[in-house]
Amino acid sequence: MSVATPVMRQTAALAWRSIVTTVRLPQAWFPALFFPLMLMAIFTASFGGAPGVVPGFPPVRGFLDFAVCGAIIQGVLIAGTTAGAAFATDIENGFFDRLIASPASRIAILTGRLGASIALGLSQAVLFIGIASAFGARVQAGIGGILIILAITALFAAAVAGLGVYLALRTGSGEAVQGMFPLFFALLFFSSAFFPLETMTGWYAGVAQANPISYLVEAMRLEVIGGGTAGTALAGAGIALGLALIAVGASALALTRRLRMAA
Amino acid sequence: MTAPAVETRDLRREYKGGITAVDGVSLTVDAGGVFGFLGPNGAGKSTMVRMLATLLRPTSGSALVAGHDVMTNPGAVRRRIGVALQDAAIDPYMTGRELLRLQGVLHGLRRPDGRARADDLLGRVGLEDAADRRVGTYSGGMRRRLDLALSLVHEPVVLFLDEPTTGLDPTSRIALWDEVRRLNSEHGTTIFLTTQYLEEADQLADRVAIIDGGRIVADGTPQALKAGIGEPLLTVTAGEGSSPDDVARVLARFGRIVPGSAVNGAGVRLPGGSAAMADAVRALDEAGVRFQEIDLAEPTLDDVFLKCTGRHLEGAADAAAGA
Repeated sequence: MSVATPVMRQTAALAWRSIVTTVRLPQAWFPALFFPLMLMAIFTASFGGAPGVVPGFPPVRGFLDFAVCGAIIQGVLIAGTTAGAAFATDIENGFFDRLIASPASRIAILTGRLGASIALGLSQAVLFIGIASAFGARVQAGIGGILIILAITALFAAAVAGLGVYLALRTGSGEAVQGMFPLFFALLFFSSAFFPLETMTGWYAGVAQANPISYLVEAMRLEVIGGGTAGTALAGAGIALGLALIAVGASALALTRRLRMAA
Repeated sequence: MTAPAVETRDLRREYKGGITAVDGVSLTVDAGGVFGFLGPNGAGKSTMVRMLATLLRPTSGSALVAGHDVMTNPGAVRRRIGVALQDAAIDPYMTGRELLRLQGVLHGLRRPDGRARADDLLGRVGLEDAADRRVGTYSGGMRRRLDLALSLVHEPVVLFLDEPTTGLDPTSRIALWDEVRRLNSEHGTTIFLTTQYLEEADQLADRVAIIDGGRIVADGTPQALKAGIGEPLLTVTAGEGSSPDDVARVLARFGRIVPGSAVNGAGVRLPGGSAAMADAVRALDEAGVRFQEIDLAEPTLDDVFLKCTGRHLEGAADAAAGA
């Protein structure tokens, strides 16, 4: 602790505050856990017979193995929306003012929020993999595979939180950020998060093929169902990193813009 | 010499749409006192505080706070000021102690120092018992006291309080006033407080500036401002067997009679204030003039406001009735 710089301590303190306020508010964490788990359960029950029967479905041990990574990404998307809305609420109710009236590092305002979202995303991923494992799923690539899944989750969590913070800074309204949620959801469903690209048809397949989330989820999924290579892992991580850089960069610019309004 | 706590020159702030919230304010607030910025809603008080607290960029003019320019050296200003904004956000899901410790880190305190400081401040604002409860369970007065404590973690030289007691019940208001007084007298913190309550400015501030429509319309000690209005007004209504003229004849010995200031009686400006009131009453008695009601009305800051703007301060009548 003694070697930590003020920026690091402020980042840690603000991340801790974001995590604590999320954990203590059931509305903040429940949807991000419940909806993905529910969908994972429903899909597994509904399409449990699909693998090996439906043409184009990759060979898997069970549908749950196939579904778990989509659930992780969905959870991260929901948590990211909540994070953005919480940041907007901080602007609306004056916590943000308190931050900028203090000499605290401006970078920590951003890194604190992103750090919290990454930590929450990672816990979620570990929990989901644990639950899926309890119901018989197996990560074929073992510990290395889990680490790759976690790395992609962390980068994607930073990307979604960055986007949420960007929207919060531009709109200053929690409702506006929450209002973007259906759009994120559409983005998720127009991808191969829940079903393989190979079973899709027509323009829907085209959209899903162009959707970066497809490649991200697939890179994670191959670690679970087997068949992942260094190439697929790097491609998925690369896409997640690219999204994170764009979103975090945009949120940093939006923060600078908002701070310029202050002295 | 200590630099003035606040020194502004022709400070202006326009909002989009051409609304001028602060319209050329030049103000010097000496270090060490309690300064009251009095004005109705929308007068420009909060805009002024936001500019001085480096939260809002002035459109033109300059402002030095604790000797540093808010525009060119906001960091230095932020290290020296404490800010408790109106309707300030306090996380309902965190405890008072957690919030104070967080605030300590934001101000660059080391962990042990921040912890000790949090405990000390909790004691000072009387929140030890509620320290580990979530803020959501606090009363309005407790929140304001926590807010005050939060603005004090780094021992600021200048403390800005934006309408600190708006919406508080009288007991909580008085408790907060006591804390502000103690802060000023024991710690030497300069207080810059905005208020729409006359009584608050009168009770707390050793200097008051009245702002209306973004401009300062009066500035001085509450005593000087009120003295500018004139002496207190003594009104006496005539009793059975006496006429208003009888009353007026006696009262005229003590000051200038104000015609029409009392129904069925007379009113006089008393240069001697309340001390002269006893003499006047004795004189009435000795002259055998019977009387019913006696009232001594001191000039209030509302009279000052009325004289400067032609209007009463909002809620002044309620405040007077409650006082």
